[in-house]
Amino acid sequence: MPRATTVESDGCPPLRALTFDVLGLVKVTETRSQQGGVAKVVERWGEPDSSLCVLAASMNDRKIDPLLAVARKNGAIELLSPINGDVRVSFSNNNQADVQSQEDNIVGLHLFKKRTPESSSRSCTLLTCTMKGVTSLRSTVIPKSLGDSTCDDTPTTWNVCAAGNVLCCKVDENENYALYGGKGVEVNIWDLATHTKIWTAKSPPKNSLGIFTPTWFTSATFLSKDDHRKFVAGTNSHQVRLYDMSAQRRPVMSFDFRETPIKAVTEDLDGNTIYIGNGSGDLASFDIRTGKLLGCFLGKCSGSIRSIARHPDLPVIASCGLDSYLRIWDIQSRQLLSAVFLKQHLTNVIFDSHFNDEEVAGSVAPLPPSEVKNDDEPVDGNEEESPPVVKRKKKKTSKSHAVDGDEEEPRKKKKSKSQAVDGDDAELLSAKRKKAKKSRNVDGDEEESVLVEHEKPEKTKAGSKDRKSKKGTKKSKGERIDEP
Amino acid sequence: MGKKRKDREVQSDDDDAAKTRTKRTDIDKSGAKPQLLPSMIKNKEKRSAVYAKIKHEKKVEKRKNAKAREALESRALELGEELPPKKVPRTIENTREADETVCKPDDEELFAGNDADEFSSILNREQPPKILITTCRFHSTRGPALIKDLIAVIPNAEYYKRGTYDLKKIVEYANNKEFTSVIVVHTSRREPDALLVIGLPNGPTAHFKLSNLVLRKDIKNHGNPTSHKPELVMNNFTTRLGHRVGRLIQSLFPQDPEFCGRRVVTFHNQRDFIFFRHHRYIFETKENKQHDAKEKNKDTGDEKTPKGKVIARLQECGPRFTLKLTSLQHGTFDTKGGEYEWVHKPEMDTSRRRFFL
Repeated sequence: MPRATTVESDGCPPLRALTFDVLGLVKVTETRSQQGGVAKVVERWGEPDSSLCVLAASMNDRKIDPLLAVARKNGAIELLSPINGDVRVSFSNNNQADVQSQEDNIVGLHLFKKRTPESSSRSCTLLTCTMKGVTSLRSTVIPKSLGDSTCDDTPTTWNVCAAGNVLCCKVDENENYALYGGKGVEVNIWDLATHTKIWTAKSPPKNSLGIFTPTWFTSATFLSKDDHRKFVAGTNSHQVRLYDMSAQRRPVMSFDFRETPIKAVTEDLDGNTIYIGNGSGDLASFDIRTGKLLGCFLGKCSGSIRSIARHPDLPVIASCGLDSYLRIWDIQSRQLLSAVFLKQHLTNVIFDSHFNDEEVAGSVAPLPPSEVKNDDEPVDGNEEESPPVVKRKKKKTSKSHAVDGDEEEPRKKKKSKSQAVDGDDAELLSAKRKKAKKSRNVDGDEEESVLVEHEKPEKTKAGSKDRKSKKGTKKSKGERIDEP
Repeated sequence: MGKKRKDREVQSDDDDAAKTRTKRTDIDKSGAKPQLLPSMIKNKEKRSAVYAKIKHEKKVEKRKNAKAREALESRALELGEELPPKKVPRTIENTREADETVCKPDDEELFAGNDADEFSSILNREQPPKILITTCRFHSTRGPALIKDLIAVIPNAEYYKRGTYDLKKIVEYANNKEFTSVIVVHTSRREPDALLVIGLPNGPTAHFKLSNLVLRKDIKNHGNPTSHKPELVMNNFTTRLGHRVGRLIQSLFPQDPEFCGRRVVTFHNQRDFIFFRHHRYIFETKENKQHDAKEKNKDTGDEKTPKGKVIARLQECGPRFTLKLTSLQHGTFDTKGGEYEWVHKPEMDTSRRRFFL
């Protein structure tokens, strides 16, 4: 009796994901609630060319004027608009303008979300890291049109490692520290403000047979948003290690996962779940506090997983890799929600969290900041309980409410979902948040007159950062007590 | 025993039928089941009798249908009408599960991907293929014999003794010597059981299971291949994975066949098994027998007009074996740190109608 293998996509929530592949194409996949939540490729940007293979991508996922940075194999870095795929700026990574050597590919790219106070609103900061360990930090001004693409002032460049190959590079949520690791490079943390190495890991001791596994990190991620001290790294010898900078230089915990190298590690929002993808297409979630396997994501996935992305609001992750499928999974049930065949080997996947279900993609024009300012003040006042990310969403809907009346419903649903996910913790958090918000409101009123050109989301983010940092210090205190 | 049963059936046919009928009406009344299944009867003799009856009825009906179809056909022939359409039998292949990865001829991304992949330089005849064949560490008996046959099949192939070298070292060596592929014949218990095809310098590594090996000397009336470059026939590599594996295999052979050699190498994919065959062919004009008979009666003098039709005759030569893909690895051979493009996993085998190539 034949069994149907078509994916029973029981309503993938409306979302938008961008995937990058080896031919340099960027594909946009969207699911909409009207079409029963089936993922579909809606746009394709770029021409197929193997020299334009995308090696790394990073997105500044803000609501107004989002920006997408893409590092290509030929050494070029492009800043795209994630809404319609227009190239805003394109420049070469090495400032000497000589031919990029084949081995020195870019492995890490990070587009900074926060802005330095002195920089103008149209500039952005980029961190790039090549395989040889050459890291550069540069800021670029986005021109009005592509014609006058001006490369910036000289980037600050430093070398992360003397020998070996850097394979993974991550910047923490507050964007103060960067994490590097690779083949023959122990994971190390750099302070981005002073460009100094502040911490290096120590390789684990020889095992009982006296065999030393050579250092080879393939993926790494910071564990929680508000704490840069804890991070998880996956090795080529299928080991996942948890490091804690405040505790010791050797891994606090390490466990094995299957038998092929760990190729992708992504943290969950709650800070104690991680998602691991390996070289033979196995995807699993682990509780990092105990090192226990929570469960595997089963589907007929057979190609190496290159990238995992966690959606910032919805309980959904996306994985992609060498089997050319973009798969969207539910976190709770670990069921496959949707799978899209994208024809090429995929290298990266990114979620666009500000995707609106109703509106037609591509026609979204970034709203002028003045309009936003007028709108979000009253909303801010009466919206106290929802978590900040959702709140931003809410603002958006209220804004577009004037345009389209039917929009409210899916939003509400989503909100309730996310709250249901949080469960009891959400209540506690919201209580905390109320307090924080009160104080913040006072601050906000004062600042308003000063910062005219800065947008509101920025400010809320800054506020939440403050909160986070407070929390972080608390936590760290607790940990220090634990220390011997 | 069969006869006995038949006899009994004939005797007890009537009362049996009556019984079932009554039962059926009972059931119909209750409305639970419309039909009595023979498996529901507990008495074995009764059950077998009912079953035999049903089977007989089916057979009669089938014969009737066939006769009716034949009659239709013959009538259509006589009247010179269009023949009724032939029914296509449902096979596992043509009822395979729908696969969205099947290559379409109008897919421009596919061609762009082809141009960018590892085999494009060989398949565009920019570079002749050069193959290194080696073995696993310990091999004997049928292994060397297979290698001898393989060297006869694949032009520009060289055998290197394995020695005690690591496979990674051999790959490195082959890279330096500008080989384009490495084939490793793996034997277990003196029987070749796996084939590893590595594309160089950074091509994929395919791992095949090898079965049903028949060497050339074991084939009856086998031919001996010439040293011409063979033609290549690739059948049914439809999906993206199949396409890639097909290109990997294709890159082992030179892309400029010498048609005068009349050698053909076939890789036929059926239900994910790749069948390898090696033939010599010849085109012959076969004269019709009726013509022959007539000509013999008259005279055999005039041979100016070619009579009869041209047929191709095949002679098998070279080994015969079956491959099944177990994994396709990205990059060259690396079991520990390798990334797989495709691995066969047991959870894929939940349907007989799901094929990957």
